[in-house]
Amino acid sequence: MNAKMDTSDACDLRFGQVGIACVRVRRADAAALCDELERRVRSAPQLFSRAAVVLDLSHLMDLPDDGTVDALLEAVRSAGMLPVGLAYGTSETEALATRMGLPLIAKFRAAYEPEHGNVAAPAATGPTRPAPVREPVHAPAPAGPALGAQYHEGTVRSGQQVYARDRDLIVTGAIANGAEVIADGNIHVYGSLRGRAMAGAQGDEKVRIYVSDFRAELVAIAGHYRVFEQIPKDLEGQSVQCWLDGEKLMIARL
Amino acid sequence: MTAQIIVVTSGKGGVGKTTTSASLATGLAMAGKKVAVIDFDVGLRNLDLIMGCERRVVYDFVNVVHGEATLKQALIKDKRHETLFVLAASQTRDKDALTQEGVEKVLDGLSEDGFDYVVCDSPAGIEKGAHLAMYFADQAVVVVNPEVSSVRDSDRILGLLASKTRRAERGDGAITQHLLLTRYNPTRVAAGEMLSVKDVEEILGLSVIGVIPESENVLAASNAGVPVILDDNAIAGQAYGDTVARILGEERPLRFTDVVKKGFFQRVFGS
Repeated sequence: MNAKMDTSDACDLRFGQVGIACVRVRRADAAALCDELERRVRSAPQLFSRAAVVLDLSHLMDLPDDGTVDALLEAVRSAGMLPVGLAYGTSETEALATRMGLPLIAKFRAAYEPEHGNVAAPAATGPTRPAPVREPVHAPAPAGPALGAQYHEGTVRSGQQVYARDRDLIVTGAIANGAEVIADGNIHVYGSLRGRAMAGAQGDEKVRIYVSDFRAELVAIAGHYRVFEQIPKDLEGQSVQCWLDGEKLMIARL
Repeated sequence: MTAQIIVVTSGKGGVGKTTTSASLATGLAMAGKKVAVIDFDVGLRNLDLIMGCERRVVYDFVNVVHGEATLKQALIKDKRHETLFVLAASQTRDKDALTQEGVEKVLDGLSEDGFDYVVCDSPAGIEKGAHLAMYFADQAVVVVNPEVSSVRDSDRILGLLASKTRRAERGDGAITQHLLLTRYNPTRVAAGEMLSVKDVEEILGLSVIGVIPESENVLAASNAGVPVILDDNAIAGQAYGDTVARILGEERPLRFTDVVKKGFFQRVFGS
């Protein structure tokens, strides 16, 4: 059973089962998480102090961005527990775990994809409103060096959302009323924009939106947005570009 | 040889899904195909009324799904067409009575029995019943009325068809989407009260497979339990005939989309 100590191998690799606590995050609120865990650690320090835990983000509506996850991990640490990995999740959680340099501890790994996706843009930079549940059309590409643009061929239908993480988004069809396209970079729409377009979702104020047939409900750049209850006659159906001039969102015909 | 599964759906209620399902199934049967038409609107069954077989429903779709009856027992043979069968919905159960496995079993059973087409009449909405009706489909007929809310809902349904069906999940190639414009009134379109064919096609980015004119015959046919496609004098029936032919691959020009002159109206409705 025991490996002999005098074998030439530097180590033995074997699998064992260990029980591990799982912190299921219900709200991406680091301060509240820290308070809650601190209380648990105080109530049973024998059990929880310096206990190894995994962070389960699968109960959050949207997968938080890297900064938020960092804050959550730090909250667990400051409460006196030791986060050792992420639990469950989708391929996006897997990508996140890779970026964080943490193992993903799961029975299912990416085999389990939730009903509703996790591709909503970071809420802080978009116009503030309750996040509707939407079906993602494209999973965001794993973050890495900026890799040109993400293409979407055809129409984005009402209720759908396309998010290009860390890159530009090019849509060759129409964006219907009630549909949403979001990019961390620029957005180009070679069709009618009847829904919403939000560029610079991570706060980049230099990005622009180009539309070949403008009928938008809303356009936003880096969180500065304009809604159109009535589309100005001189812009309706025209090719336009949108950019930020300081705090002001400008729209002009091309 | 597996059956082609066609879902008739819309998102919005009252646009003519059941009328379309009945006429589509009848039209396919008239073309010599073996067809089953299934009512997925559990709890609000209507298809049997439009097909005129409501008094012959003994076992229904839910019974088959739950193994309480065989397909053979539940399929109601149409009294006019040898190769047309109706599978009625249950009026006394709710939508949770259907399960994905159960629906798959029924559809597989129909395929094994040599059916060429299965027409699934979807309930309104985008909830479970509608989801199950579209999930296994190979083709979809999206019924839309020429008004903005119906067009918006259809857009949503088109998005779901592209992502929430078995074909989409398995990557088996996209489901064939047909857009069917119903309750079309050329006079009101000319007056600017209704969206035109062109408007709807432009907003949805799809061309129509057929345009069914608004017609009093539709209501009369429904009340009589006769699918309107069987009414040769009704322009709506002729338009459904064209639509079925197009779904079967024939090319036919659109009819009844322009304002007709008085004289022509009288010729059609006169005698």
